[in-house]
Amino acid sequence: MTTLRLNPLLGTPLYLQLVEHLKHSIATGAIRAGEQLPSVRKMAEDLLINPNTVVRAYRDLESDGMVELRHGSGVFVRESVSSRTDLMKKAEPIIRSAVDRLESLDLEEDDIRRLMENELAQRRTARQTRKRRA
Amino acid sequence: MRESSTPNAASEEPVVAVTNLSRRFGSKIALNDVTLAVARGGVFGLVGENGAGKSTLIKHLLGLWRAEAGSVKVFGLDPVLDPPAVLGRIGYLSEQPDLPGWMRIDELLRYTQAFYPRWDATYAEQLLGQFGLDAGARVSTLSKGQRARLGLIAAEAHRPDLLILDEPSSGLDPIVRRDILEAIIRTVTDEGRTVIFSSHLLDEVERVSDHLAMLHKGTLKLCAPLDEIKARHRRVSLRFEVPQQQPPEVAGAIRVDGAGREWTVISDARRSYAPAVAQHLGAVIIEDAEASLDEIFVAHSGN
Repeated sequence: MTTLRLNPLLGTPLYLQLVEHLKHSIATGAIRAGEQLPSVRKMAEDLLINPNTVVRAYRDLESDGMVELRHGSGVFVRESVSSRTDLMKKAEPIIRSAVDRLESLDLEEDDIRRLMENELAQRRTARQTRKRRA
Repeated sequence: MRESSTPNAASEEPVVAVTNLSRRFGSKIALNDVTLAVARGGVFGLVGENGAGKSTLIKHLLGLWRAEAGSVKVFGLDPVLDPPAVLGRIGYLSEQPDLPGWMRIDELLRYTQAFYPRWDATYAEQLLGQFGLDAGARVSTLSKGQRARLGLIAAEAHRPDLLILDEPSSGLDPIVRRDILEAIIRTVTDEGRTVIFSSHLLDEVERVSDHLAMLHKGTLKLCAPLDEIKARHRRVSLRFEVPQQQPPEVAGAIRVDGAGREWTVISDARRSYAPAVAQHLGAVIIEDAEASLDEIFVAHSGN
C-alpha cells in the first residue's frame, strides 16, 4: 500500500485511481478476503488526499460488492470476494480434466484450442443478443 | 466513515462569510465585489495567479484589513472588531512566516502559546520531534524549510478551528510540502475543523480540496465543490472540413484555441453538448473529455 502514489495530473479522478488500485490489490491477493482496509484517516494521510475522496472510493467498492462497511469497526473485504489467484487455482483442475477427456478423443492441440475459442465466441454472441433484446 | 462530519451548509452557519467585499489600492482593484462562504469541516482551496487577490482576501479574514465595502464574518464575528475571539481560533501560516530571528525555537513556542488558551504543548513537542527541529536552535539559523515547519507548529499546535495557509508551499522542497499537506489532512480528519488553503500549485489543491474558489484580478471566477467544477468543464477538440478564418462560435465556450481546421474549446458542459455543437458547426469531434484543473484555470484567466 505504501508504494501507491495517486497523481491528480493523470486525468483519472483520484477516487477512481484509488478504487482501481484496491481492486487490483484484491484481485492479486495482496489484500485478502476478510481483511480490513486502512481507516479513512490513515488512508488520507498516507496518500495525501482529501478524506472524502477515500470515503467515495470505499463507497464505490461497497456498491460493487467488494467490501462491506461495518459500522464502528471499519471497512472489510467481503469474504465472498475471491482473489484472481484463488480463482485460477480452482480453475486449474477443471481445465485439466476437460483437456484430458478431449485428448482421449484423439483431438490435437490445435483442435482443442479452436473448440475452446468457438465455445467462447458463441457465448459472447448469445450474451450480446440477450442484451439487445433486454 | 465520516458521515457525521459531512458539511451540511443548509443547517449550519458557515465558518467564513464574505459578502460583496471590495478593496482598492490606489487605482488598482484588489478585490471586486467578492461573495463567498466557507462551510465547516472541509478544505477550501483558493487559487489564482500572483496578485489575483488571494492574500488580500485572507488578510481581511484575519482582521488585518477593514472591509472598505461589503462585510467579512469569521465564526459569525467581525474579525476587525473582535480580534481575540477570532484569532484565538485561527492558525495561520504565510509564505514567509514572520518569525523573530533572535529567539530560540522553545522561546518562540512559549511566546506563541501565551496567545492561545488551547495550546497543546505535548502536540507541539511531538511535531518538533517529527520535523527534526532542535528546540535550542535560534530561529535566524534555520533554513527556509525549517522555518516553514516551525511556522506550521505555531499555526497547528493550538488545534485551531480554522487553519489558514497562504501559499505555504512556495519555494519549498517536496518533503516540507508533504509535511504541509499532512497537516491539512490531519486538521480535517479531526471532526469539524476547517482549512483554507491558498496556492498556485494546482495539483496540491486538487489533491486535498473539497471546495474550490478561483480569483482572477480581484474577481471571483469560480466557487463550487471541486467535483462539480471538474464535471462542469469539458475540453472538446473539433476538426472542420475547411480551414476557419475565425474561431468557431460555441455556446458556453470559455476559451477557444486553434487555427485552420482544428480548434479546441474549453466549455461549460451545462450550456453546451459537444455532439450538438459539432453538428451545428459542421465539424467532427476529435476529443470530448473532462478538462484538467489547469485548463479550467487558464480558460478563466483569459481576460
